[in-house]
Amino acid sequence: MAKLSRRAIAIYIAEQLTGKADSQKVILQLAAYLVDTRRTKELSLIIRDIQFYLSEAGAVSGVITTANALTAETKKAIEKYIKEQTGAKTVALDSLIDPSVIGGVKVSIPGRELDATVSRSLTVLKTRYKKA
Amino acid sequence: MSELSITELSNDLRNAIAKLETSGNLDEVGVVLRVGDGVAWVRGLRNAGYNEVLQIETDEGVVEAFALNLMEDEIGAVLLGEDSKVKAGQTVRLKGSVLSVPIGPELLGRVVDPLGRAIDGGPAIKTKQQGLVEREAIGVMGRKSVHEPLMTGISAIDVMFPIGRGQRELIIGDRQTGKTALAIDTMINQGKQKTGVINVYVAIGQKRSKIARLVERLKQEGVMDQTIIVATSPADPASLLYLAPYAATAMGEYFRDNSQHALMIYDDLTKHAVAYRQMSLLLRRPPGREAYPGDVFYLHSRLLERSAKLSDDLGAGSLTALPIIETQAGDISAYIPTNVISITDGQIFLETDLFYQGIRPAISAGLSVSRVGGAAQSGAIKSVSGGLKLGLSQFRELASFAQFGSDLDEATKSQIERGQRLTELLKQHQYNPMSVWQQVASILSVTKGYFDHVPAAKIKAAQAAMLTRLWADHKKDMTELDKGGKPTEEILKSIEVTALATAKGFEG
Repeated sequence: MAKLSRRAIAIYIAEQLTGKADSQKVILQLAAYLVDTRRTKELSLIIRDIQFYLSEAGAVSGVITTANALTAETKKAIEKYIKEQTGAKTVALDSLIDPSVIGGVKVSIPGRELDATVSRSLTVLKTRYKKA
Repeated sequence: MSELSITELSNDLRNAIAKLETSGNLDEVGVVLRVGDGVAWVRGLRNAGYNEVLQIETDEGVVEAFALNLMEDEIGAVLLGEDSKVKAGQTVRLKGSVLSVPIGPELLGRVVDPLGRAIDGGPAIKTKQQGLVEREAIGVMGRKSVHEPLMTGISAIDVMFPIGRGQRELIIGDRQTGKTALAIDTMINQGKQKTGVINVYVAIGQKRSKIARLVERLKQEGVMDQTIIVATSPADPASLLYLAPYAATAMGEYFRDNSQHALMIYDDLTKHAVAYRQMSLLLRRPPGREAYPGDVFYLHSRLLERSAKLSDDLGAGSLTALPIIETQAGDISAYIPTNVISITDGQIFLETDLFYQGIRPAISAGLSVSRVGGAAQSGAIKSVSGGLKLGLSQFRELASFAQFGSDLDEATKSQIERGQRLTELLKQHQYNPMSVWQQVASILSVTKGYFDHVPAAKIKAAQAAMLTRLWADHKKDMTELDKGGKPTEEILKSIEVTALATAKGFEG
């Protein structure tokens, strides 16, 4: 049997999960397939791909990274912004506190990212000065 | 439709586009999966295009790479910087453009790397324009047949294998046979004869000391002001070696497209093919003959096809290419040599045996050819070139036969003697290109028999004396001859008289 690409697996699983299929059954099927084909190492990549295709189907999940905790109001505003930008039906964003970003906000959703952190601005600046 | 409505329509469209655009807030991102040997494997970035620039965010700044393998689950990208800075898990962004380099007259006199960054210690280069590294070659209707000569200053080439502006003429031979020397002399000649041709020299994996020496020499000869050097050393990543000729061609195309003439020297495409083979094998592309990938022909054909003579409508500019190929033990039937021979419009084959016999430039008259240059030869050179190549080839054949026996008829003897004189005459020191009148007068002095009583060993001395005398006594005629027109009877007479007079001093 030809090796299925991660993309093909992810599309199938995302379709099943957004359809009427029993999600527990789909998860078991996927687990069995990965064990059988000895591809369990690819699990995290497949999960990311499933996330990507789920977000294309309208269910966006992601992470907001900031240096300090966000207020509920700000988080709601970000979720609203992501909804507008992606046209998603549902947006679920987890919060992550990471002091290394120094300031600003980073929103990571499958395949896309909004990085308005101070640390990224510094990286870009560093590269520009190196080139010049 | 009135003018006003078109303006309104245009404004409405711009507004609609502005609303639809996400203004780049949500960037498409990918993640580095693994990295090694200058290649990064990236997941995500489903909209990445072939040759598109990727930006990898490392702790020490952004490292650029370009996508070469677009596969279903991942992208194989070749890094343009050090791979030690790139780690798995780092974020990758699309730059949104394919590779481009700075182009324009600001690059003249500079030594740059394939990304257009100055490496000569001078100030940073700021150009007004950027040129695409990979660009489609000009179409059929945008071209014109090659008709103007590109004088190399090397009489053996200009007389027997003339090169025209817009031609691709391969320089091929073993190591240490004078391939680069030919190319450098051609560059120097553009300065000495004030042809206005811009030189673009691409050093692919050349030692930095060699490049430094070349720059020094070009400065001494006063040609550096009309030269751009794109240099890569063996210490650079294979990706830069691969990019160098394409980036340099983009720089040369600027002059071609602005009604000027440029000369590209690719030194050498063998190392370029090796760098591409390295990249391809690391990208896990299937190896073919000599482990080169299947598209190694396309690698060079798409590069050399960009050299062209443009039509009058496009400004009549030209880009001439002198690619260099290094052979192993004179084997021109190896994979890369045959490929490039079939792409180019002729080749100048340099032989090791001739080189060690002291015949320099060691051009093989039998194996060299110029397929389109004949049409570009000036009247002056054409008037002396007839039958020279055939005569020289026949002489070398006869000379090898003559080694076995001493009983030769008079006709054969005289053919051999004239061949020996011609061979001596065509020897030329490095960095000493000759102008048109010098070439014409020299060739005539042997082919017309004016030097028939001068021994072969004294030919070079006689030639030098004759040229000095001609310039002193007939400067006006020689200046006229230098313009390239067919020599008049009067000019031919003055050459004959001077040559015969000079020959008397060298007889015996």
